[in-house]
Amino acid sequence: MAISVVMPALEMAQETGKLISWLKKEGDPVAKGEPLLEVETDKAVMEVESPGDGVLAGVKVQAGAEVPVGRTIAWIVRPGETPPAEEAHIESGRKTAAVAASSQAASAASAAQSTARELKISPKARRLASERGVNLAHVRRSGPGGEILASDILAAAESTMTSPAVAVDTGSPISRLMAERTTQSWTTVPHFFVVREVDAGALNDTRQKLAAEIEQSRGVKLTHTDLLVALVARVLAKHPRMNASWAGEGVRVNADVNMGLAMAADEGVVAPVIHQADKAELGAIAVQRRDLTERARSGKLRPADIAGGTFTVSNLGMFGVDAFSAIITPPQAAILAVGRIADRVVPLEGRPAIRPMMTLTLSSDHRVVDGARAAEFMRDVAEAIGNPQAWLG
Amino acid sequence: MPETGGRELTFAQAIREALAEEMRRDKTVCILGEDVAEAGTPFKVLSGLLEEFGKDRVLDTPISEAGFTGLAVGAAMTGMRPVVDIMFGDFITLTMDQMVNQAAKVHYMSGGMWKVPMVMRTTLGATRRSAAQHSQSLHAWFCHVPGLKVVMPSTPFDAKGLLKSAIRDENPVVFFEDKMMYKLKGSVPAEDYTVPLGVADVKRAGEDISLVATSSMVQVALGAATMLEEIGISAEVVDPRTLWPLDEKTLIESAKKTSRVIVLDEGYERYGVTAELASVIATGAFYDLDAPVKRMGAMHVPIPFSPPLEDVTVPTEQTVFEAARALCGR
Repeated sequence: MAISVVMPALEMAQETGKLISWLKKEGDPVAKGEPLLEVETDKAVMEVESPGDGVLAGVKVQAGAEVPVGRTIAWIVRPGETPPAEEAHIESGRKTAAVAASSQAASAASAAQSTARELKISPKARRLASERGVNLAHVRRSGPGGEILASDILAAAESTMTSPAVAVDTGSPISRLMAERTTQSWTTVPHFFVVREVDAGALNDTRQKLAAEIEQSRGVKLTHTDLLVALVARVLAKHPRMNASWAGEGVRVNADVNMGLAMAADEGVVAPVIHQADKAELGAIAVQRRDLTERARSGKLRPADIAGGTFTVSNLGMFGVDAFSAIITPPQAAILAVGRIADRVVPLEGRPAIRPMMTLTLSSDHRVVDGARAAEFMRDVAEAIGNPQAWLG
Repeated sequence: MPETGGRELTFAQAIREALAEEMRRDKTVCILGEDVAEAGTPFKVLSGLLEEFGKDRVLDTPISEAGFTGLAVGAAMTGMRPVVDIMFGDFITLTMDQMVNQAAKVHYMSGGMWKVPMVMRTTLGATRRSAAQHSQSLHAWFCHVPGLKVVMPSTPFDAKGLLKSAIRDENPVVFFEDKMMYKLKGSVPAEDYTVPLGVADVKRAGEDISLVATSSMVQVALGAATMLEEIGISAEVVDPRTLWPLDEKTLIESAKKTSRVIVLDEGYERYGVTAELASVIATGAFYDLDAPVKRMGAMHVPIPFSPPLEDVTVPTEQTVFEAARALCGR
């Protein structure tokens, strides 16, 4: 029986996907699991695997097209078999398309992906997903009614260990995405900036004090960035309005504090996310930061790595930058730009003293926060950096 | 399991052997019921017992289930170990006061001073063309009452071993025999052995789905498992053997292993034994289930006399096969 190839939903709220290229030509034999096409979402370029063994046929969509998720874009057929006739649906969108696909072939349902709202998952699969950290948004749904089953989670957990999920090596899509997103942000989000100099002495001391223990227990070198992520996340938990989003007609306050961390990839900047960083231990943050950095450098970031950020920290201190202003990543409300720590002469109790100083610049979306709120947040950030031990608990 | 030495008996012969051995072993064991003596019951289960043990120990009674069941309760309280024969399970309705309000309560209400070591043997099962008043499987009624034990053998081996345990038990035990299974053959040791009450048996090991089946449904489940094997689905068949006491652990372990379960029982599905077993499994194995626990029992109708209609009121190998295949997404 013919198996439909559908535009997958790779992220929770995705409506459409852009077909970048077919990796197979019509008539080519393909094996289940073999890369079949490349799809661009608003965050990444992904390879989509063949849902079955057979021959690629009935290709309906060519490179460059935007396609609603769930829409059948081609078929995998047996040699000599012709693909089924047109489906009756098409303009009515994801739900109809998904239903039509599942009626065409049982395994078509497994290729069709689902949004969280429609998600059906067995208790066992839910437990396994949570134990193995599998993001439910992009696993197959092989159950008789399109449910996610335990075998789907196990397969997803296995494939994320080996799959080259994000094809950063193609380069140009990432840089094009960066161009689009920053233009959109800079031209539609009313930015304003609050700058504050802080004394990083206590931050340096804390790092020296904790580094050896964390290196021993976690096998990772503690960085200033790790400390900043942990401290800023804890301050954010007390300032929910800074951890919010502009949602078209109003402000949405986000439940979790998910810290994006801007870092350089081959062709541009990416901001992988440390989820619930306000609750994560410092050592755990350091481990995640190291893993995300390695995956970003090797172009192996997964969609879950870059999804769900609620605030971003961008640190250019290691490049010797004193201070800079960053562009907000919508729909986040703010981004904190961190400069280097440099010895400066500052007045201390009426006398000149040499202190390690650092300049922080907060970019905020004025639709979500005003200057006073941003200033209060920066006051607490400065306080936390001045007394890290108290905030890390 | 004792060695059988290749010896095969029918289900009916295994029951008769258990009774005969227990009557030889213990002079207080006696049998009473309708047509149990010369006739040896309409199913010929008891043939030959009158000749060996005489009419003082194999008693024909009038057609009066309430009367002779009450007689047995009193006899048990005063030192006998009576085995009551209720010809068709449908007739247990007439024994309810004696069983539910007397037999089940006496030990408790006497503060343990009295006990009622009696067995009620009766039948269940449809598809014998016996119509609505002689075809029901009403064992769930007794499962509902604290103080009664309920035994559901599915093989000749289990029938002999479980009946001996039931006779030796100090409590009232209701022993259900599938009337369609009396001619089923199986290995049965000649020696004395018992099967303990409250221990389930895995009749067939499997990986993909558990078929938890009682009494008549065990053979149906085994047949379905053979059909499933042909399409690559490995089914495990688990027989609780006694509904009370219930071996919850074995049922839950099987569900955890396979992640999918169908519960089969020939009683009415609605408010039936399958509901209780499914609940035990859903609670104990929730985080290991990959699909809802499916129940299959008799349809919520009087069992029809019409053969084509009767045959669709209870689960069959084919319907179980199809349900299992759907649950496995094949």
